[in-house]
Amino acid sequence: MPTQLFAPLGAAAALLLSTTSLQAAGELNALIWCDHADPALLAPFEEAHDVRVNVKEYEGTAAGVTILEQSRPGDWDVLVVDAVDVGRVAAAGFLAPLPEGTVDTSSYFPDLVMEDHNSVDGVTYAVTEKFGYNTLAYNKAAVDPADMESLGALWSGKYDGKIAIYDYYLPVLGLVGLQAGIDTAGLDTAALETIKEPLMALKAASRQVSDVVASQTALATGEVDILIGGGEWLTAVLNAENADLDWTIPAEGGLLWAQSIGVVAGTEREELAQEFIRYITSPDGQARLATSSCYWGMPANAAAADVLSDDEKAILRWDDQADYLARAQLYPVPDAETDAAMQDLWTEMLQN
Amino acid sequence: MRPRLGSPLAWIYLAAMFTFILLPVITLVVFSFQDGRLPVPPFKGATLDWYAKVLSDRAMMEALGNSLLVAALSAFVSLLLGFLAASGLARVLLPGSVLMRGLLIAPMTVSYLIIALGLLQMFNQIGLRPSLLATGIGHVVINLPLCFAIIYAAIGAHQRNALRAARDLGAAEWQVLLYVAAPMLAPSLAAAYFLAFTFSWDEFIIAFLLTRFDVTLPVEIWSMLRSGLSPETNAVGSLVFLVSVLIVVTLELSIFRKARK
Amino acid sequence: MSLERQEKRHGAALVAPALLWAVAFFVLPFAAMVAMSTAKMVGREIVPGPDFGNYIRIFTEPPLTRAIFVSLEITAIVTILSVLLAWPLAWIIATRVPAKWQRLALLLAVLPFWTSYVVRSYSWALVLGEKGIVMNTLVGLHILSEPVQIMATRTATVIGFTHFFVMLLTLTIYSNLVQLSPNYARAAEDLGASRWQVIRLVILPLTLPGVVTGAFLTFVLCIGDYITPQILGGNNELTLPQLIMLQLGRRGDYPMASALSVVLMAMVTLAYAGCARWLKMDRV
Repeated sequence: MPTQLFAPLGAAAALLLSTTSLQAAGELNALIWCDHADPALLAPFEEAHDVRVNVKEYEGTAAGVTILEQSRPGDWDVLVVDAVDVGRVAAAGFLAPLPEGTVDTSSYFPDLVMEDHNSVDGVTYAVTEKFGYNTLAYNKAAVDPADMESLGALWSGKYDGKIAIYDYYLPVLGLVGLQAGIDTAGLDTAALETIKEPLMALKAASRQVSDVVASQTALATGEVDILIGGGEWLTAVLNAENADLDWTIPAEGGLLWAQSIGVVAGTEREELAQEFIRYITSPDGQARLATSSCYWGMPANAAAADVLSDDEKAILRWDDQADYLARAQLYPVPDAETDAAMQDLWTEMLQN
Repeated sequence: MRPRLGSPLAWIYLAAMFTFILLPVITLVVFSFQDGRLPVPPFKGATLDWYAKVLSDRAMMEALGNSLLVAALSAFVSLLLGFLAASGLARVLLPGSVLMRGLLIAPMTVSYLIIALGLLQMFNQIGLRPSLLATGIGHVVINLPLCFAIIYAAIGAHQRNALRAARDLGAAEWQVLLYVAAPMLAPSLAAAYFLAFTFSWDEFIIAFLLTRFDVTLPVEIWSMLRSGLSPETNAVGSLVFLVSVLIVVTLELSIFRKARK
Repeated sequence: MSLERQEKRHGAALVAPALLWAVAFFVLPFAAMVAMSTAKMVGREIVPGPDFGNYIRIFTEPPLTRAIFVSLEITAIVTILSVLLAWPLAWIIATRVPAKWQRLALLLAVLPFWTSYVVRSYSWALVLGEKGIVMNTLVGLHILSEPVQIMATRTATVIGFTHFFVMLLTLTIYSNLVQLSPNYARAAEDLGASRWQVIRLVILPLTLPGVVTGAFLTFVLCIGDYITPQILGGNNELTLPQLIMLQLGRRGDYPMASALSVVLMAMVTLAYAGCARWLKMDRV
């Protein structure tokens, strides 16, 4: 009997041996947003350099910093982070300087070079790689597109019970702020008091507060018609399934999200990490990143236009970017105290 | 009470409950064949694409391997420790044995989340990185009480006497355990191993908090759920279901049936 | 008696590895967590205590306090509902289904146990959605004129939980029922009890241990679960585990997460104390 019982053990041991022998020559550990987990994005790099890219997903800079704080130097090689947060992450000592000329940004969308945000005191720590908008995504079969020209429609009562809130506090608080006439840069603890009441009213009018996939499900199946905080990153993936899903930047404006990528301080594979960044910002890498499986988004490097198909560019609304960029504001960049207050407010909203 | 067929209320209730219990599984399996991106009605026709996708998904297959590994090894360690402890506590009345039993059983009454959080903090402090090893340690913590309880309950007066007889005849401790106790308790050992394996295989929160890149299957399925809606999730779920049911039926027909005779 | 001493030494040696494991990986981590719960988060720094600010916040700040009640309410509803649904099911299987089919019926009744836990909640999301099979059928049969919202409500969470625990309780109650000698019922019937009286006055009390064991397991597993409310509840209210994961994942606030866990642990311990006299945890 015992021999039968332990048979699975032998199988397990064999499996362990087989997986270790399959491992590639090198490894690269990347802390990322989920769009970088797409095998179609990583495979060309892995093959070209005979390495294995290990990825760990996180959502929101605070969560990412928590992971970094619990790690030791050498645990991570590459970090993908909101462009506006590069400064505070670098200041905390988590990013290694990026030598001048690592990435050629001459073919970038000029607004997306974001040198101010990617550098501290003249030292560059990261480069922008992808961007998009957190605004209103909606189902145009069920919602009057004219209504979506104003954020106020969400508070009008007309769409009560048909709204979902994207579960990420920074963009949504930013949008509620815009509705109240507060710029994202002015979102301090006093301003949070001001937007508390409209935020709670929004929650009352909403059906759910949901992550990426629950939001997609709800929109695609008609459970909700509007997602505040949504944008092309959410609707593009579903385009083939439901062409009625649309998004817009209302008159009050929207939020621009931009991701940057940098080398983590303390890495033992700095060369390889820089090579990875060069791949991600190359036209081919940019095109793959723009259409990756978790969510789509505009490539920061305009040279990706040569690689993306016309259909893909149409879905990304390549030609409208100049107008969108002019109307969108950057994410709020809270200090530790404001960040805590924002999260407290968010928790209160969820629990209300 | 003799079985009384023919009371319609009982049969209606039975049918209703079976519908309730089986509905999500059936829906899951049916829409794993959905020829479209959304696993909700209407059913647009059958395809095996999603299964092909799962089987060619490197991350998913690795997670599957990791889960098997962690489940097999952690269940083995739980079984071994549980078996030794049960044999020890069943044979002599040790001072404080009630307390010992209590301590061994205690993790069973604690939420997995609490065990995970405690281990996460301790491993952080002693510098053990989140890994399959860390997860495996956590899984032994939750499965050791189970293995101990099952084996301890199976050692009755008859078993005690047989063990004592073997020792009186001069068998060494390890010989008694390996050649007398283990065969005698085989059905319970098998049941304990199988249950521990299942619990580890399906455990989420400990594995979620204590792994980094080498994740287990439930964690991989969770991140798949969070990164996009697709019938691929249905396909994974159906595959796991199918394999588990096959194992259960095999066990039911072999080990447990034999054990009942 | 040296022989007895030797016996004891051997016995102790056999128990030692398991005890060491329990102390090293259960008692110590828990102690570390209790210590952490009295630390304090200042900015992004964890300042060691003792400081009971976290506990004071838990019991004074409404969003935090409410999580305790949300968790307790959901768990209470789920536990009661599961017992009420599972008892008749176990009873029908044990007494109405012919003996040769009983094992098959039981196997069917717990079949979804063998799907992945995460997937099980997810499949309820598919079933309960507005376009899901339930709403489709109800509207199709004109029982409802239009779909009602179940997904992303507490009802969805409760249904998801109840589904799982009905299976668990059916098992514990069934195994209790089949151990009962049919003589009890027969004796009661011979004494002139009606069938309902037999069930209520004889069978039901005798199955109490199975019910309580199952109900306690339900309580522990339900109150500590993160997945089900997270997938089905739509974030319209937060349970204690959701709040703990929020502190952990988004803020790295280990002290607060630990304090909330200690509160969770206290609730489970209270429940254990309440059921202890019927529970035989070491003889499950």
